[in-house]
Amino acid sequence: MGKQYEIPLGAQHISLLEPLHFKFTTENEKIVDTTANIFYVHRGIEQACCSKFKFRQVSFVVGRVCGLCSISHSTAYSQVAEKLVKIEIPRRAKYLRMLVIELDRIHSHLLCLSHVAENSGFEALFMKTMQYREFSMELLEAVCGNRIQYDFSIVGGVARDLKPAVGQMILERLKKFKPQLDELVDIYENNWTLSLKNKGAGAITKEDAMRLNVVGPFARAAGLAIDVRNETEDLLPWKEVGFEMVLDTAGDVHARNMVRLHELYVSMRIIENIIARLPESALITETKAFPDGEAVVRIEAPRGELFYYAKGNKTQVLERLKIKAPTFSNVSAMVEAFKGNEYGSVPAIIASYDPCLSCTSR
Amino acid sequence: MKTFFKALGNLFRKPVTIKYPFEQTYIPDDYRGMIGFDENLCIWCRRCEMVCPPGAIVFSQDMDGKQTYHFNRAVCIYCSECVRACPKEGAIFQTAEPAKCALKEENINNGWNALFDEALKSRADYAAEKKRLAAEKAAVLKTDDEKK
Ligand code: SF4
Ligand code: SF4
Repeated sequence: MGKQYEIPLGAQHISLLEPLHFKFTTENEKIVDTTANIFYVHRGIEQACCSKFKFRQVSFVVGRVCGLCSISHSTAYSQVAEKLVKIEIPRRAKYLRMLVIELDRIHSHLLCLSHVAENSGFEALFMKTMQYREFSMELLEAVCGNRIQYDFSIVGGVARDLKPAVGQMILERLKKFKPQLDELVDIYENNWTLSLKNKGAGAITKEDAMRLNVVGPFARAAGLAIDVRNETEDLLPWKEVGFEMVLDTAGDVHARNMVRLHELYVSMRIIENIIARLPESALITETKAFPDGEAVVRIEAPRGELFYYAKGNKTQVLERLKIKAPTFSNVSAMVEAFKGNEYGSVPAIIASYDPCLSCTSR
Repeated sequence: MKTFFKALGNLFRKPVTIKYPFEQTYIPDDYRGMIGFDENLCIWCRRCEMVCPPGAIVFSQDMDGKQTYHFNRAVCIYCSECVRACPKEGAIFQTAEPAKCALKEENINNGWNALFDEALKSRADYAAEKKRLAAEKAAVLKTDDEKK
């Protein structure tokens, strides 16, 4: 056995987007052990939601938990609050929520892919992916009125309607994006330099993924068929709009890239279906009821299963709100997947986990 | 190899970025921008203040009951909850104009907190004064009754 070294990485590091700290024990460049510390950015959002804000305002607060999956948070919260006040939202609102969630998934996945490319040392591909990502930001701006922090889902429905002109614009832009996505798939799949850094790096087996409770693209890349969109039908009718599971088997960085890229095709198809079949109805169900009882909601955010628990006590202010973000579920598997890899491939592996620490530590 | 030729080809393509401040970026017509207020239409129900998540609207009140609207563009998150809550169409509305940056001179955080507290106090003062006047009036009425 060679000499072992401990290398700390984070909480601030050029290859990290988020304040996350890893301590690697290495032996001749090989990682033998890792520990992680994730709670650097605790903001006390849960406490604020249960003390400072009325329950109708909380959907705007949780929308600010995360910049990338803002809509997943506000939708999950809106759904849990709707369960507490016992209302059913109009069908059109459900469809519009799915539309924005999928647009959001496109921009989030492309961001993650571009960072994998950057952290693997492929700066040009980073630029290219970011360039192609821009259309999704503009579409979100057209639909929600803002590039980030959409404030789209509110308790009872959605805040804005989709104008026919904007629907047309989405379809046109998606048509333009399709060949660009084909090009990206080709590069991520076949580029030799990228494959050197990505193939076989950060691999996790299906059994480990199952044991460590992995969610999201991380799990699906290892062959574990986990997707909330496949499991729940009551709140958002995913199967109606053509959801399909994307799976891979290798479980390494390359497989995660592929899963994300192919999920974009699914997202695009869902968006097209939604716009084609958008039902006519009101946008909001009004109610004067106060939240009462307990409820949980799960929703598939771009990074995996997002979980909300809320408890009301017949007042304006909730008694308890609990948020469990997908990255939190994945931490134990992240630590596991480093083992046996070269220290040099760590940045690419971290980027491929797509960690979102502001969601995790709230 | 293919990537290499692509990279060479890219040398002759036009840049995809735009020359921002000189060229405007994409802004949709219904961009969530500045909140406007029309004093003549408002019925002073304060519903917008009640629903505003960050507390960017506050109404102060002077002693003769007249209310004044205060809005802080740096606190506002442009969610347009106030517009949805307003019972009087057009009294409060959202424009597509992006908000201007806050300047140091405006003292937009501490100044606003002080203003917010003052506004609440002015309202409490007015309510107390009204209550006192009502009590006085009631007392006068009562003594009148007793005299009779
Ligand atoms: S837009 Fe939202 S944050 Fe701004 S004043 Fe209206 S309710 Fe408050
Ligand atoms: S909700 Fe409308 S009418 Fe009421 S105080 Fe606000 S602006 Fe005026």
